[in-house]
Amino acid sequence: MIQAQSLTKRYGSKTAVDAVDFTVQPGRVTGFLGPNGAGKSTTMRMIVGLDRPSHGSVTVNGKQYREHKAPLREVGVLLDAKAIHTGRSAYNHLLAMAATHSIPASRVKQVIELTGLDSVARKRVGGFSLGMGQRLGIAAALLGDPATLILDEPVNGLDPEGVQWVRHLVRHLAAEGRTVLLSSHLMSEMAVTADHLIVLGRGKVIADAPVAELIGAATRKVVRVRTPYAPELAALFQSADITVTRTEADLLEIVGITAADIGNQAARAGIALHELTPISASLEEAYMSLTQNDVEYRTGGTSDDPAAEYSAADLTESVR
Amino acid sequence: MTTIAPAPVRAFVPSGPGLSFGGELRSEWIKLRTVRSTIWSYATVIVISLGLAALMSASIDLAGREIPAVEQATFLAQPATFGVFFGQLVVAVLGVLAISGEYSTGMIRSSITAVPRRLPVLAAKAVVLFVCTFVVGLISTIGSYLVAAMFLAGKGVTASLADSDLLLPLLGGALYLALVAVFALGIGAMLRSSAGGIAASLGILLLLPIVLSMIPAQWLADLLPYLISNAGLASFGLNGFTSASFETWQNILIVVGWVVVSLAGAAVLLKRRDA
Repeated sequence: MIQAQSLTKRYGSKTAVDAVDFTVQPGRVTGFLGPNGAGKSTTMRMIVGLDRPSHGSVTVNGKQYREHKAPLREVGVLLDAKAIHTGRSAYNHLLAMAATHSIPASRVKQVIELTGLDSVARKRVGGFSLGMGQRLGIAAALLGDPATLILDEPVNGLDPEGVQWVRHLVRHLAAEGRTVLLSSHLMSEMAVTADHLIVLGRGKVIADAPVAELIGAATRKVVRVRTPYAPELAALFQSADITVTRTEADLLEIVGITAADIGNQAARAGIALHELTPISASLEEAYMSLTQNDVEYRTGGTSDDPAAEYSAADLTESVR
Repeated sequence: MTTIAPAPVRAFVPSGPGLSFGGELRSEWIKLRTVRSTIWSYATVIVISLGLAALMSASIDLAGREIPAVEQATFLAQPATFGVFFGQLVVAVLGVLAISGEYSTGMIRSSITAVPRRLPVLAAKAVVLFVCTFVVGLISTIGSYLVAAMFLAGKGVTASLADSDLLLPLLGGALYLALVAVFALGIGAMLRSSAGGIAASLGILLLLPIVLSMIPAQWLADLLPYLISNAGLASFGLNGFTSASFETWQNILIVVGWVVVSLAGAAVLLKRRDA
C-alpha cells in the first residue's frame, strides 16, 4: 500500500506536484495517468526517496521507503530504462544490485529468463535497444520479489508482444496480492491494464476512481439528429435516462438511446430525419476533456482540435 | 460516484535478507571490477610503474662510485616508487569515474534505490576503491622494486624487502595511491561530472603545486607542503614540487585530511541533493 499525504514538490518557482493525496491499494493494478509534465514521474521518484518532497509525505506499507530494512524486497521500481551503467553487462548490473540485499545469483538468472534477456545478458548495456533496456529495468524491479511494484511507462519502446507480456505480468503480480502502480500517458493502455486510475494534471489529482467507472463516464454515446421537426422529435424521448439537447434549430444531440431506436421511433411517428449520426466519444477524447486544462506542453494554432493537441503534447517529450 | 469494493486479497509479504554493509561492499566490488575503465586504469598504473623503474634503474650510471651499505635501501626505493607520481594521475581519474560514471549513465538512481540511505553507497565505494587501489599500488611498487633490483644488482646496489628503509616507502607509495583514489571519488561525487571531476582532481594534484610555486609570495610558498600531492609524495621520499618539511606520519596525516574533507563534502551533498 502506498499512501501520499499532501505530497508536494517544487523546483524553484515551478510546482511539479501540488499537495496530492492518494492511496494505492494492494491486490489490484493502479494506473497513474496524465499528460507529460503532469507530475507522474516526480511523484514516483518521491515514493522511493530519489527526490525529497518539498512538503507532505509518502509511505510504502506504513514506512518511508528509506526506513525499510530491505528496500528492494519492499518495492521494485522502474523509473527510466536508462538508470543503468552502459559499460556493464546486464547480468553484472543485476548481480551488483542483488548483492546489496544478499539476493542469490540464482534469482538474477531467474529474472533474466523471466524477462527474456537470456541471449543478451552478457552483452554491455550500452548497445541495448530501448525495448531491451526496458526489459532489463523490469528485471531489476523484480529482483527482490517485491511486495510493491512501481513502473514508470513500462511499455515504452516495447514491441506488441512485449506490451502483452507486461500487461499479463502486472495483472498476475497484482493477483498475488502485491501493490502495483504503473504510469502511462495513454488512456487506451490503461483501459486494458489497470483496475483503478489516478489521473494527474499539472501536479494535481483530477480523478481517482475505478477504471470501469471512468470508462462508463467516458464512453456515453451521443447521436446527432437533424430534422426540421426538432421539437416534435424531442417530445418522443421523455424518459429519465435519455437526454436531448437542442444545439441548433434543426439539430438535436441525444444521449442514452441508440441511433436505430431513434430512427424506428421517428418513422413510427412519421417524422422525417435529414441526418442520423452516432458519435461515440473515445476513451482518448474523454481523457482529453478530463485533462484539457492541465496539459503543460501545448502547441499553438490547433486548440480547437483536441486530438491534434494531444498528439503534439505526446511528441513533446518532457526533457526534465 | 460509486465505490466498487476491491475483492479481498491477502497482501503479499516479502521475505529474505535485507541490506547489510557486507552486501553493499560486495555490490561495489562487482561494480568496480565489471567496467573496463577499472581494468585499464589499474593495468596502466602497473605498466607505467614497472616501465619507469626499469628505465630509471637501467640508465643510472654510478661511474664506479659505491653507494654506502646503509643508503642502498633508500637508493633502491627511488626507482621503485617513481611511478607513483604518474600513477596518482591515473587512479585519480579512476576515482572520479567510479562515481561520475554512475551519474552520467543514470546508474546512481539504481544504486540509491537499492540503498536509499545513500551514505553506505559512498562508504562502500570508498572502502572497495581504497583496498583495490592499495593492492594494485603494492603490486606496482614491489614489482618495480624487483625490476629495479634486477638492474641495480649488477651495479652493486642491493637491499632486502625486510629493510624498513625500503619497505616503508613501498607501502607508503601504495597507501598514497589508495588515498588519492578515494580523494578523487569525493571530488567526483561532489561535481557529478566526469569531465569536471577529472579536471578538478588533476588540477589539485598537478596544477595547484606548480601555480602556487610560481607566484612570488612567501605565504603561498609556506602553503606548498600542505598540498595533497606534495605531502603525499614526500611521505615516501619522492619530492614533488617542494623540499621535504614534515615527518612521514605528518605527511600522511595531511593527505588523510584532504581525503576526509573531500568525502565529507561528498557525503553532505549526496544526502541533501535530489538524485
